[in-house]
Amino acid sequence: MSALQVQNLTKKFKKFVAVDDISFDLKEGEILGLLGPNGAGKTTTIQMLLGALTPTSGTVSYFGKDLAKHRTEILEKVNFSSTYTNLPWLLTVRENLTYTAFLYNIHDRKDKIDEMIMQFRLKKLENQILNDLSAGQLTRVNLAKAFINNPQVLLLDEPTASLDPETAHFVREYILSQRSKNNISIIFTSHNMFEVEEICDRVLIIKEGKILADDIPTNLAKTIKSTTVSFYFEEENKELFIDYCVEKNILHNLTRNKIAVQIPEEDIPKFLGGMMQRNIHFLEISIDKPTLQDYFIQMAQTGQETHDKFETMI
Amino acid sequence: MNLYRIYGITLRYLYLLRHSYDRVTDTFYWVVMDIILWGFTSLFFRQAFTGDPNLSANLIGGLILWYVVWRTQYEISVNLLEEVWNKNLINIFVSPITFSEWIAAFMISGVIKVIFMLVVASLTAYFLYGVNFLAYGKYLYVFIPLLMMSGWTVGFFISSFLLRFGTKLQTLAWSFPYLVNPFSAIFYPLSILPLIAQNIAHFVPTSYVFESARSFINTGVVDPIMLWKSLGLNILYLVIAMIFMKLSFRKVLEKGLVKLY
Repeated sequence: MSALQVQNLTKKFKKFVAVDDISFDLKEGEILGLLGPNGAGKTTTIQMLLGALTPTSGTVSYFGKDLAKHRTEILEKVNFSSTYTNLPWLLTVRENLTYTAFLYNIHDRKDKIDEMIMQFRLKKLENQILNDLSAGQLTRVNLAKAFINNPQVLLLDEPTASLDPETAHFVREYILSQRSKNNISIIFTSHNMFEVEEICDRVLIIKEGKILADDIPTNLAKTIKSTTVSFYFEEENKELFIDYCVEKNILHNLTRNKIAVQIPEEDIPKFLGGMMQRNIHFLEISIDKPTLQDYFIQMAQTGQETHDKFETMI
Repeated sequence: MNLYRIYGITLRYLYLLRHSYDRVTDTFYWVVMDIILWGFTSLFFRQAFTGDPNLSANLIGGLILWYVVWRTQYEISVNLLEEVWNKNLINIFVSPITFSEWIAAFMISGVIKVIFMLVVASLTAYFLYGVNFLAYGKYLYVFIPLLMMSGWTVGFFISSFLLRFGTKLQTLAWSFPYLVNPFSAIFYPLSILPLIAQNIAHFVPTSYVFESARSFINTGVVDPIMLWKSLGLNILYLVIAMIFMKLSFRKVLEKGLVKLY
Protein backbone atom coordinates (compact mmCIF):
# COMPACT_ATOMS: atom_id res chain seq x y z
CA MET A 1 0.00 0.00 0.00
CA SER A 2 1.16 3.52 -0.72
CA ALA A 3 1.99 5.66 2.27
CA LEU A 4 0.80 8.69 0.33
CA GLN A 5 -1.34 8.95 -2.74
CA VAL A 6 -1.97 12.17 -4.60
CA GLN A 7 -4.66 12.17 -7.24
CA ASN A 8 -5.40 14.93 -9.74
CA LEU A 9 -4.29 17.60 -7.31
CA THR A 10 -4.95 21.12 -8.55
CA LYS A 11 -4.62 24.49 -6.89
CA LYS A 12 -5.79 27.68 -8.53
CA PHE A 13 -5.41 31.17 -7.14
CA LYS A 14 -8.05 33.03 -9.14
CA LYS A 15 -6.89 32.48 -12.74
CA PHE A 16 -3.35 31.40 -11.85
CA VAL A 17 -2.87 27.64 -11.78
CA ALA A 18 -0.13 26.93 -9.23
CA VAL A 19 -0.50 23.15 -9.29
CA ASP A 20 -2.05 21.57 -12.36
CA ASP A 21 -3.65 18.17 -12.01
CA ILE A 22 -0.70 16.25 -10.57
CA SER A 23 -0.86 12.64 -9.45
CA PHE A 24 1.82 10.56 -7.78
CA ASP A 25 2.32 8.20 -4.91
CA LEU A 26 4.91 7.57 -2.22
CA LYS A 27 5.58 3.96 -1.40
CA GLU A 28 6.26 2.72 2.11
CA GLY A 29 9.92 3.19 2.96
CA GLU A 30 10.59 5.21 -0.19
CA ILE A 31 12.49 8.50 -0.33
CA LEU A 32 10.99 10.67 -3.04
CA GLY A 33 12.77 13.81 -4.18
CA LEU A 34 10.52 16.71 -5.08
CA LEU A 35 12.47 19.03 -7.34
CA GLY A 36 11.71 22.04 -9.41
CA PRO A 37 12.88 25.56 -10.08
CA ASN A 38 11.59 28.44 -7.95
CA GLY A 39 7.90 29.07 -8.55
CA ALA A 40 7.37 25.57 -9.93
CA GLY A 41 4.59 24.75 -7.47
CA LYS A 42 6.70 22.73 -5.02
CA THR A 43 5.78 24.78 -1.96
CA THR A 44 2.10 24.84 -2.88
CA THR A 45 2.20 21.07 -3.29
CA ILE A 46 3.90 20.58 0.08
CA GLN A 47 1.35 22.86 1.76
CA MET A 48 -1.48 20.77 0.33
CA LEU A 49 0.23 17.53 1.37
CA LEU A 50 0.38 18.88 4.92
CA GLY A 51 -3.22 20.09 5.01
CA ALA A 52 -2.15 23.74 5.33
CA LEU A 53 -3.73 24.61 2.00
CA THR A 54 -7.05 23.40 0.63
CA PRO A 55 -6.78 22.00 -2.91
CA THR A 56 -9.10 23.41 -5.57
CA SER A 57 -9.65 19.82 -6.68
CA GLY A 58 -8.10 16.41 -6.24
CA THR A 59 -7.29 14.35 -3.18
CA VAL A 60 -4.40 13.66 -0.84
CA SER A 61 -4.59 10.30 0.94
CA TYR A 62 -2.25 8.84 3.51
CA PHE A 63 -2.37 5.11 4.29
CA GLY A 64 -5.52 4.88 2.15
CA LYS A 65 -7.36 7.60 4.09
CA ASP A 66 -8.38 10.98 2.77
CA LEU A 67 -6.47 13.78 4.50
CA ALA A 68 -9.47 16.12 4.35
CA LYS A 69 -11.62 13.63 6.27
CA HIS A 70 -9.06 12.09 8.67
CA ARG A 71 -6.80 15.09 9.29
CA THR A 72 -5.98 14.57 12.97
CA GLU A 73 -5.50 10.82 12.72
CA ILE A 74 -3.19 11.21 9.72
CA LEU A 75 -1.16 14.16 10.99
CA GLU A 76 -0.27 12.22 14.15
CA LYS A 77 1.75 9.94 11.85
CA VAL A 78 3.20 12.64 9.62
CA ASN A 79 5.74 15.37 10.35
CA PHE A 80 7.50 18.17 8.60
CA SER A 81 10.73 20.09 8.83
CA SER A 82 11.95 23.02 6.83
CA THR A 83 15.14 24.98 7.19
CA TYR A 84 13.09 28.08 6.45
CA THR A 85 10.45 27.81 9.15
CA ASN A 86 11.15 28.62 12.76
CA LEU A 87 10.14 27.16 16.03
CA PRO A 88 9.35 29.56 18.90
CA TRP A 89 12.67 31.33 19.36
CA LEU A 90 12.22 32.33 23.00
CA LEU A 91 11.64 28.76 24.16
CA THR A 92 14.52 26.44 24.99
CA VAL A 93 15.30 23.36 22.92
CA ARG A 94 13.74 21.10 25.57
CA GLU A 95 10.66 23.30 25.95
CA ASN A 96 10.11 23.28 22.19
CA LEU A 97 10.34 19.50 22.08
CA THR A 98 8.12 19.16 25.15
CA TYR A 99 5.22 21.18 23.82
CA THR A 100 5.58 19.50 20.42
CA ALA A 101 5.46 16.08 22.10
CA PHE A 102 2.12 17.05 23.65
CA LEU A 103 0.82 18.22 20.27
CA TYR A 104 1.63 14.82 18.79
CA ASN A 105 0.09 13.00 21.72
CA ILE A 106 3.33 11.24 22.69
CA HIS A 107 2.90 9.48 26.01
CA ASP A 108 6.52 8.51 26.78
CA ARG A 109 7.49 12.14 26.33
CA LYS A 110 10.52 12.38 28.56
CA ASP A 111 12.22 9.31 27.08
CA LYS A 112 11.43 10.39 23.54
CA ILE A 113 12.69 13.93 24.11
CA ASP A 114 15.89 12.61 25.73
CA GLU A 115 16.36 10.28 22.76
CA MET A 116 15.94 13.14 20.26
CA ILE A 117 18.29 15.37 22.24
CA MET A 118 20.95 12.65 22.23
CA GLN A 119 20.49 11.65 18.60
CA PHE A 120 20.68 15.18 17.29
CA ARG A 121 23.61 16.13 19.53
CA LEU A 122 21.61 18.73 21.43
CA LYS A 123 22.54 17.76 25.00
CA LYS A 124 24.67 20.85 25.63
CA LEU A 125 22.05 23.10 24.05
CA GLU A 126 18.90 21.69 25.62
CA ASN A 127 18.38 24.59 28.03
CA GLN A 128 19.29 27.35 25.60
CA ILE A 129 16.62 29.40 23.89
CA LEU A 130 16.53 29.00 20.12
CA ASN A 131 17.36 32.66 19.62
CA ASP A 132 20.88 31.90 20.84
CA LEU A 133 21.52 28.99 18.46
CA SER A 134 23.36 28.96 15.13
CA ALA A 135 21.60 28.14 11.87
CA GLY A 136 23.02 24.62 11.89
CA GLN A 137 21.96 24.02 15.49
CA LEU A 138 18.45 25.28 14.66
CA THR A 139 18.24 22.83 11.77
CA ARG A 140 19.08 20.01 14.17
CA VAL A 141 16.32 21.15 16.55
CA ASN A 142 13.90 21.30 13.61
CA LEU A 143 14.83 17.75 12.68
CA ALA A 144 14.47 16.56 16.27
CA LYS A 145 10.97 18.07 16.23
CA ALA A 146 10.24 16.31 12.93
CA PHE A 147 11.28 12.87 14.19
CA ILE A 148 9.74 13.15 17.65
CA ASN A 149 6.47 11.40 16.81
CA ASN A 150 8.12 8.47 14.97
CA PRO A 151 6.47 9.63 11.76
CA GLN A 152 5.51 7.15 9.07
CA VAL A 153 5.65 9.91 6.48
CA LEU A 154 8.06 12.80 6.71
CA LEU A 155 8.30 15.91 4.56
CA LEU A 156 11.79 17.35 4.69
CA ASP A 157 12.32 20.66 2.97
CA GLU A 158 16.02 21.30 2.41
CA PRO A 159 17.01 19.72 5.72
CA THR A 160 20.72 20.16 5.14
CA ALA A 161 20.67 23.67 3.68
CA SER A 162 22.55 25.45 6.45
CA LEU A 163 24.67 22.63 7.78
CA ASP A 164 28.41 22.17 7.60
CA PRO A 165 29.50 19.17 5.48
CA GLU A 166 30.07 16.88 8.46
CA THR A 167 26.68 17.62 10.04
CA ALA A 168 24.96 17.41 6.64
CA HIS A 169 26.53 13.98 6.19
CA PHE A 170 25.31 13.00 9.68
CA VAL A 171 21.78 14.14 8.81
CA ARG A 172 21.75 12.20 5.54
CA GLU A 173 22.99 9.10 7.34
CA TYR A 174 20.36 9.59 10.04
CA ILE A 175 17.58 9.90 7.48
CA LEU A 176 18.74 6.77 5.67
CA SER A 177 19.11 4.82 8.91
CA GLN A 178 15.62 5.84 10.06
CA ARG A 179 14.23 4.78 6.73
CA SER A 180 15.78 1.32 6.96
CA LYS A 181 15.03 0.96 10.70
CA ASN A 182 11.45 2.26 10.76
CA ASN A 183 10.48 2.06 7.10
CA ILE A 184 9.67 5.79 7.03
CA SER A 185 8.48 7.23 3.74
CA ILE A 186 10.06 10.57 3.01
CA ILE A 187 9.45 13.43 0.63
CA PHE A 188 12.69 15.32 0.31
CA THR A 189 13.46 18.62 -1.35
CA SER A 190 16.91 20.02 -1.83
CA HIS A 191 18.82 22.23 -4.22
CA ASN A 192 21.84 20.00 -3.75
CA MET A 193 21.41 17.58 -6.64
CA PHE A 194 24.30 15.37 -5.56
CA GLU A 195 22.54 14.89 -2.23
CA VAL A 196 19.28 14.06 -4.01
CA GLU A 197 21.09 11.50 -6.17
CA GLU A 198 22.63 10.03 -3.03
CA ILE A 199 19.53 9.56 -0.94
CA CYS A 200 16.41 9.63 -3.15
CA ASP A 201 15.01 6.44 -4.62
CA ARG A 202 12.91 8.38 -7.08
CA VAL A 203 12.59 11.98 -8.17
CA LEU A 204 9.60 14.03 -9.26
CA ILE A 205 10.41 17.06 -11.34
CA ILE A 206 7.78 19.79 -11.15
CA LYS A 207 7.65 22.83 -13.37
CA GLU A 208 4.84 25.33 -13.88
CA GLY A 209 2.61 23.22 -11.68
CA LYS A 210 2.99 20.07 -13.74
CA ILE A 211 5.03 16.92 -13.24
CA LEU A 212 7.66 16.87 -15.99
CA ALA A 213 9.38 13.67 -14.96
CA ASP A 214 9.01 10.85 -12.47
CA ASP A 215 11.95 8.48 -12.43
CA ILE A 216 15.02 7.32 -10.53
CA PRO A 217 17.79 9.96 -10.48
CA THR A 218 20.24 7.98 -12.65
CA ASN A 219 17.63 7.45 -15.36
CA LEU A 220 16.88 11.17 -15.44
CA ALA A 221 20.58 11.94 -15.80
CA LYS A 222 20.87 9.35 -18.58
CA THR A 223 18.20 11.12 -20.60
CA ILE A 224 20.79 13.75 -21.34
CA LYS A 225 22.55 12.22 -24.29
CA SER A 226 25.45 14.61 -24.41
CA THR A 227 28.53 14.22 -22.27
CA THR A 228 30.70 17.17 -21.40
CA VAL A 229 34.27 16.67 -22.69
CA SER A 230 36.79 19.30 -21.62
CA PHE A 231 40.14 19.78 -23.37
CA TYR A 232 43.18 21.81 -22.35
CA PHE A 233 45.33 23.08 -25.24
CA GLU A 234 48.43 24.96 -26.16
CA GLU A 235 47.55 28.20 -27.98
CA GLU A 236 48.18 26.92 -31.55
CA ASN A 237 45.99 23.84 -31.08
CA LYS A 238 43.19 25.87 -29.60
CA GLU A 239 42.46 27.61 -32.91
CA LEU A 240 42.60 24.33 -34.81
CA PHE A 241 40.18 22.77 -32.36
CA ILE A 242 37.70 25.62 -32.63
CA ASP A 243 37.80 25.31 -36.43
CA TYR A 244 37.18 21.59 -36.05
CA CYS A 245 34.15 22.23 -33.80
CA VAL A 246 32.73 24.78 -36.25
CA GLU A 247 33.23 22.36 -39.13
CA LYS A 248 31.41 19.63 -37.22
CA ASN A 249 28.75 22.05 -36.02
CA ILE A 250 29.50 21.28 -32.35
CA LEU A 251 28.69 23.77 -29.63
CA HIS A 252 31.80 24.68 -27.65
CA ASN A 253 32.46 26.75 -24.56
CA LEU A 254 35.83 28.48 -24.19
CA THR A 255 37.28 29.46 -20.79
CA ARG A 256 41.00 30.33 -20.62
CA ASN A 257 42.85 27.27 -21.95
CA LYS A 258 39.90 24.97 -21.50
CA ILE A 259 37.36 24.25 -24.19
CA ALA A 260 34.30 22.19 -23.27
CA VAL A 261 32.10 20.49 -25.83
CA GLN A 262 28.96 18.46 -25.44
CA ILE A 263 28.76 15.28 -27.46
CA PRO A 264 26.99 11.95 -27.06
CA GLU A 265 29.07 9.46 -25.11
CA GLU A 266 29.12 6.92 -27.94
CA ASP A 267 30.51 9.53 -30.35
CA ILE A 268 33.55 10.41 -28.24
CA PRO A 269 35.94 7.90 -29.95
CA LYS A 270 34.91 9.12 -33.42
CA PHE A 271 35.36 12.73 -32.30
CA LEU A 272 38.82 12.03 -30.86
CA GLY A 273 39.74 10.12 -34.03
CA GLY A 274 38.88 13.19 -36.09
CA MET A 275 41.16 15.28 -33.90
CA MET A 276 44.04 12.82 -34.45
CA GLN A 277 43.57 12.99 -38.21
CA ARG A 278 43.85 16.79 -38.05
CA ASN A 279 46.87 16.67 -35.73
CA ILE A 280 45.10 18.54 -32.97
CA HIS A 281 46.92 17.72 -29.74
CA PHE A 282 45.59 18.41 -26.30
CA LEU A 283 47.38 18.66 -22.96
CA GLU A 284 44.64 17.20 -20.82
CA ILE A 285 41.15 15.80 -21.22
CA SER A 286 38.30 15.21 -18.75
CA ILE A 287 34.98 13.52 -19.45
CA ASP A 288 32.03 14.34 -17.20
CA LYS A 289 29.00 12.12 -17.47
CA PRO A 290 25.67 13.92 -17.17
CA THR A 291 24.30 14.23 -13.65
CA LEU A 292 20.92 15.04 -12.13
CA GLN A 293 22.19 18.60 -11.82
CA ASP A 294 22.72 18.77 -15.60
CA TYR A 295 19.23 17.43 -16.10
CA PHE A 296 17.79 19.97 -13.69
CA ILE A 297 19.61 22.91 -15.27
CA GLN A 298 18.59 21.98 -18.78
CA MET A 299 15.01 21.38 -17.67
CA ALA A 300 14.89 24.73 -15.90
CA GLN A 301 16.41 26.57 -18.86
CA THR A 302 14.34 25.08 -21.62
CA GLY A 303 11.02 24.59 -19.98
CA GLN A 304 10.72 21.42 -21.99
CA GLU A 305 11.00 17.88 -20.84
CA THR A 306 14.61 16.99 -21.38
CA HIS A 307 14.11 13.43 -22.53
CA ASP A 308 15.86 13.04 -25.83
CA LYS A 309 16.12 16.74 -26.45
CA PHE A 310 19.75 17.48 -25.80
CA GLU A 311 21.50 15.47 -28.42
CA THR A 312 24.33 17.39 -29.88
CA MET A 313 24.86 17.06 -33.59
CA ILE A 314 28.18 15.62 -34.70
CA MET B 1 -11.06 17.34 22.02
CA ASN B 2 -7.69 16.03 23.07
CA LEU B 3 -6.50 17.41 26.39
CA TYR B 4 -2.84 16.61 25.66
CA ARG B 5 -2.82 18.86 22.63
CA ILE B 6 -4.66 21.65 24.45
CA TYR B 7 -2.17 21.37 27.30
CA GLY B 8 0.72 21.41 24.80
CA ILE B 9 -0.29 24.74 23.29
CA THR B 10 -1.11 26.22 26.71
CA LEU B 11 2.30 25.12 27.92
CA ARG B 12 3.94 26.79 24.93
CA TYR B 13 2.51 30.18 26.05
CA LEU B 14 3.33 29.62 29.70
CA TYR B 15 6.95 28.82 28.75
CA LEU B 16 7.00 32.13 26.93
CA LEU B 17 6.09 33.93 30.14
CA ARG B 18 9.23 32.42 31.64
CA HIS B 19 11.55 33.85 28.98
CA SER B 20 9.91 36.95 27.56
CA TYR B 21 10.23 40.14 29.58
CA ASP B 22 7.63 41.66 27.22
CA ARG B 23 5.06 39.14 28.33
CA VAL B 24 5.96 39.49 32.01
CA THR B 25 5.58 43.24 31.65
CA ASP B 26 2.27 42.80 29.84
CA THR B 27 0.94 40.52 32.52
CA PHE B 28 2.00 42.35 35.67
CA TYR B 29 3.67 45.73 35.12
CA TRP B 30 0.93 47.74 33.38
CA VAL B 31 -1.83 46.76 35.75
CA VAL B 32 0.30 47.63 38.77
CA MET B 33 1.29 51.00 37.29
CA ASP B 34 -2.33 51.77 36.38
CA ILE B 35 -3.45 50.94 39.91
CA ILE B 36 -0.81 53.25 41.35
CA LEU B 37 -1.84 56.05 38.97
CA TRP B 38 -5.59 55.69 39.47
CA GLY B 39 -5.18 55.13 43.19
CA PHE B 40 -3.50 58.51 43.66
CA THR B 41 -5.96 60.14 41.27
CA SER B 42 -8.89 58.78 43.28
CA LEU B 43 -7.34 59.99 46.55
CA PHE B 44 -6.88 63.45 45.06
CA PHE B 45 -10.45 63.58 43.65
CA ARG B 46 -11.88 62.39 46.97
CA GLN B 47 -10.04 65.06 48.94
CA ALA B 48 -10.52 67.89 46.47
CA PHE B 49 -14.02 67.33 45.13
CA THR B 50 -16.28 64.56 46.25
CA GLY B 51 -15.44 63.10 49.60
CA ASP B 52 -17.03 59.90 48.25
CA PRO B 53 -15.58 57.08 50.38
CA ASN B 54 -16.25 54.56 47.59
CA LEU B 55 -14.37 56.51 44.92
CA SER B 56 -11.11 54.55 45.21
CA ALA B 57 -12.96 51.22 45.34
CA ASN B 58 -15.00 52.11 42.27
CA LEU B 59 -12.06 53.39 40.22
CA ILE B 60 -9.55 50.71 41.18
CA GLY B 61 -12.17 47.94 41.17
CA GLY B 62 -13.31 49.07 37.70
CA LEU B 63 -9.72 49.19 36.51
CA ILE B 64 -8.93 45.66 37.68
CA LEU B 65 -12.14 44.34 36.15
CA TRP B 66 -11.29 46.07 32.86
CA TYR B 67 -7.92 44.33 32.91
CA VAL B 68 -9.82 41.03 32.90
CA VAL B 69 -11.29 41.98 29.51
CA TRP B 70 -7.98 43.35 28.26
CA ARG B 71 -5.89 40.43 29.46
CA THR B 72 -8.24 37.81 28.00
CA GLN B 73 -8.43 39.39 24.54
CA TYR B 74 -4.71 40.10 24.55
CA GLU B 75 -3.86 36.46 25.24
CA ILE B 76 -5.77 35.41 22.14
CA SER B 77 -4.64 38.09 19.70
CA VAL B 78 -1.03 38.41 20.85
CA ASN B 79 -0.54 34.65 21.11
CA LEU B 80 -1.64 34.41 17.51
CA LEU B 81 0.71 37.26 16.60
CA GLU B 82 3.48 35.50 18.50
CA GLU B 83 3.12 32.52 16.13
CA VAL B 84 3.18 34.83 13.12
CA TRP B 85 6.25 36.72 14.40
CA ASN B 86 7.98 33.38 15.10
CA LYS B 87 6.98 31.96 11.69
CA ASN B 88 5.66 29.04 13.71
CA LEU B 89 2.05 29.10 12.49
CA ILE B 90 2.82 26.47 9.87
CA ASN B 91 4.13 24.08 12.54
CA ILE B 92 0.87 24.48 14.46
CA PHE B 93 -1.31 24.16 11.36
CA VAL B 94 0.37 20.94 10.19
CA SER B 95 0.27 19.30 13.61
CA PRO B 96 -2.71 17.14 14.59
CA ILE B 97 -4.27 19.90 16.69
CA THR B 98 -7.81 20.81 15.70
CA PHE B 99 -9.24 24.29 15.38
CA SER B 100 -11.35 23.87 18.54
CA GLU B 101 -8.36 22.62 20.54
CA TRP B 102 -6.29 25.58 19.41
CA ILE B 103 -9.06 27.98 20.43
CA ALA B 104 -9.52 26.18 23.76
CA ALA B 105 -5.79 26.54 24.47
CA PHE B 106 -5.96 30.28 23.84
CA MET B 107 -8.89 30.57 26.23
CA ILE B 108 -7.26 28.52 28.96
CA SER B 109 -4.02 30.44 28.59
CA GLY B 110 -6.06 33.63 29.06
CA VAL B 111 -7.71 32.27 32.21
CA ILE B 112 -4.34 31.39 33.74
CA LYS B 113 -2.87 34.81 32.97
CA VAL B 114 -5.98 36.52 34.34
CA ILE B 115 -5.57 34.62 37.60
CA PHE B 116 -1.89 35.67 37.81
CA MET B 117 -2.84 39.26 37.05
CA LEU B 118 -5.74 39.33 39.53
CA VAL B 119 -3.56 38.08 42.37
CA VAL B 120 -0.91 40.74 41.77
CA ALA B 121 -3.46 43.52 41.13
CA SER B 122 -5.57 42.68 44.19
CA LEU B 123 -2.55 42.64 46.48
CA THR B 124 -1.29 45.94 45.04
CA ALA B 125 -4.71 47.60 45.47
CA TYR B 126 -5.06 46.29 49.00
CA PHE B 127 -1.62 47.16 50.30
CA LEU B 128 -1.33 50.57 48.62
CA TYR B 129 -4.86 51.93 48.97
CA GLY B 130 -6.71 49.55 51.25
CA VAL B 131 -9.06 48.63 48.40
CA ASN B 132 -10.26 45.07 48.85
CA PHE B 133 -11.00 43.64 45.41
CA LEU B 134 -12.51 40.58 47.08
CA ALA B 135 -15.20 42.85 48.51
CA TYR B 136 -17.26 42.08 45.39
CA GLY B 137 -17.71 38.71 47.11
CA LYS B 138 -19.70 36.06 45.30
CA TYR B 139 -20.33 38.47 42.41
CA LEU B 140 -16.72 38.05 41.36
CA TYR B 141 -17.73 34.55 40.22
CA VAL B 142 -20.21 36.22 37.89
CA PHE B 143 -18.39 39.41 36.88
CA ILE B 144 -15.09 37.76 35.95
CA PRO B 145 -16.54 35.03 33.66
CA LEU B 146 -18.78 37.58 31.94
CA LEU B 147 -15.84 39.91 31.35
CA MET B 148 -13.69 37.04 30.15
CA MET B 149 -16.37 36.09 27.64
CA SER B 150 -16.27 39.67 26.34
CA GLY B 151 -12.48 39.51 26.17
CA TRP B 152 -12.59 36.25 24.22
CA THR B 153 -15.10 37.77 21.81
CA VAL B 154 -12.88 40.79 21.16
CA GLY B 155 -9.82 38.52 20.89
CA PHE B 156 -11.47 36.23 18.33
CA PHE B 157 -12.60 39.17 16.20
CA ILE B 158 -9.09 40.64 16.22
CA SER B 159 -7.54 37.23 15.49
CA SER B 160 -9.90 36.74 12.56
CA PHE B 161 -8.65 39.97 11.03
CA LEU B 162 -5.04 39.02 11.79
CA LEU B 163 -5.49 35.64 10.11
CA ARG B 164 -6.90 37.25 6.99
CA PHE B 165 -4.75 40.34 6.73
CA GLY B 166 -1.57 39.45 8.63
CA THR B 167 0.66 41.69 10.68
CA LYS B 168 -0.26 44.88 8.82
CA LEU B 169 -3.29 44.95 11.12
CA GLN B 170 -1.42 43.90 14.27
CA THR B 171 -2.12 47.25 15.91
CA LEU B 172 -5.68 45.98 16.41
CA ALA B 173 -4.37 43.78 19.23
CA TRP B 174 -3.65 46.91 21.25
CA SER B 175 -6.14 49.41 19.88
CA PHE B 176 -9.36 47.51 19.22
CA PRO B 177 -10.36 46.92 22.88
CA TYR B 178 -10.38 50.68 23.40
CA LEU B 179 -13.33 50.89 21.01
CA VAL B 180 -15.35 49.01 23.61
CA ASN B 181 -13.85 50.91 26.53
CA PRO B 182 -15.87 54.19 26.43
CA PHE B 183 -19.17 52.31 26.09
CA SER B 184 -18.33 50.00 28.97
CA ALA B 185 -18.63 52.79 31.54
CA ILE B 186 -15.71 51.46 33.52
CA PHE B 187 -15.03 54.53 35.67
CA TYR B 188 -18.25 56.51 35.31
CA PRO B 189 -21.96 55.71 35.36
CA LEU B 190 -23.66 55.04 32.07
CA SER B 191 -25.91 58.06 32.60
CA ILE B 192 -22.90 60.36 32.05
CA LEU B 193 -22.69 59.29 28.39
CA PRO B 194 -24.59 61.17 25.68
CA LEU B 195 -27.86 59.51 24.74
CA ILE B 196 -26.54 58.02 21.52
CA ALA B 197 -23.57 56.50 23.36
CA GLN B 198 -25.93 55.14 26.03
CA ASN B 199 -27.97 53.46 23.30
CA ILE B 200 -24.83 51.87 21.91
CA ALA B 201 -23.76 50.81 25.43
CA HIS B 202 -26.98 48.77 25.74
CA PHE B 203 -25.47 46.43 23.14
CA VAL B 204 -22.11 46.24 24.93
CA PRO B 205 -22.15 43.36 27.45
CA THR B 206 -19.35 44.81 29.59
CA SER B 207 -21.43 47.93 30.38
CA TYR B 208 -23.89 45.83 32.42
CA VAL B 209 -21.07 44.30 34.44
CA PHE B 210 -19.42 47.62 35.30
CA GLU B 211 -22.78 49.18 36.19
CA SER B 212 -23.49 46.20 38.44
CA ALA B 213 -20.05 46.38 40.04
CA ARG B 214 -20.53 50.06 40.85
CA SER B 215 -24.02 49.42 42.13
CA PHE B 216 -22.71 46.72 44.45
CA ILE B 217 -19.97 48.97 45.88
CA ASN B 218 -22.33 51.93 46.34
CA THR B 219 -25.53 50.20 47.48
CA GLY B 220 -24.70 46.54 48.05
CA VAL B 221 -27.39 45.60 45.51
CA VAL B 222 -27.04 44.10 42.04
CA ASP B 223 -29.88 43.81 39.56
CA PRO B 224 -29.71 40.22 38.24
CA ILE B 225 -31.48 41.26 35.02
CA MET B 226 -28.40 43.32 34.13
CA LEU B 227 -26.21 40.26 34.47
CA TRP B 228 -28.58 38.09 32.42
CA LYS B 229 -28.53 40.73 29.68
CA SER B 230 -24.75 40.70 29.75
CA LEU B 231 -24.69 36.90 29.56
CA GLY B 232 -27.13 36.83 26.65
CA LEU B 233 -25.16 39.39 24.65
CA ASN B 234 -21.89 37.68 25.51
CA ILE B 235 -23.11 34.29 24.29
CA LEU B 236 -24.45 35.84 21.09
CA TYR B 237 -21.28 37.77 20.31
CA LEU B 238 -18.98 34.92 21.29
CA VAL B 239 -20.75 32.51 18.97
CA ILE B 240 -20.57 35.06 16.12
CA ALA B 241 -16.88 35.73 16.84
CA MET B 242 -16.04 32.02 16.83
CA ILE B 243 -17.90 31.46 13.58
CA PHE B 244 -16.08 34.46 12.08
CA MET B 245 -12.75 33.06 13.24
CA LYS B 246 -13.58 29.62 11.86
CA LEU B 247 -14.45 31.20 8.50
CA SER B 248 -11.20 33.18 8.56
CA PHE B 249 -9.30 29.99 9.35
CA ARG B 250 -10.97 28.31 6.37
CA LYS B 251 -10.08 31.29 4.19
CA VAL B 252 -6.46 30.98 5.30
CA LEU B 253 -6.44 27.34 4.21
CA GLU B 254 -8.03 28.22 0.86
CA LYS B 255 -5.79 31.16 0.07
CA GLY B 256 -2.60 29.75 1.50
CA LEU B 257 -2.06 32.73 3.75
CA VAL B 258 0.10 30.69 6.10
CA LYS B 259 3.43 30.85 4.38
CA LEU B 260 5.78 27.94 4.62
CA TYR B 261 8.67 30.36 4.78
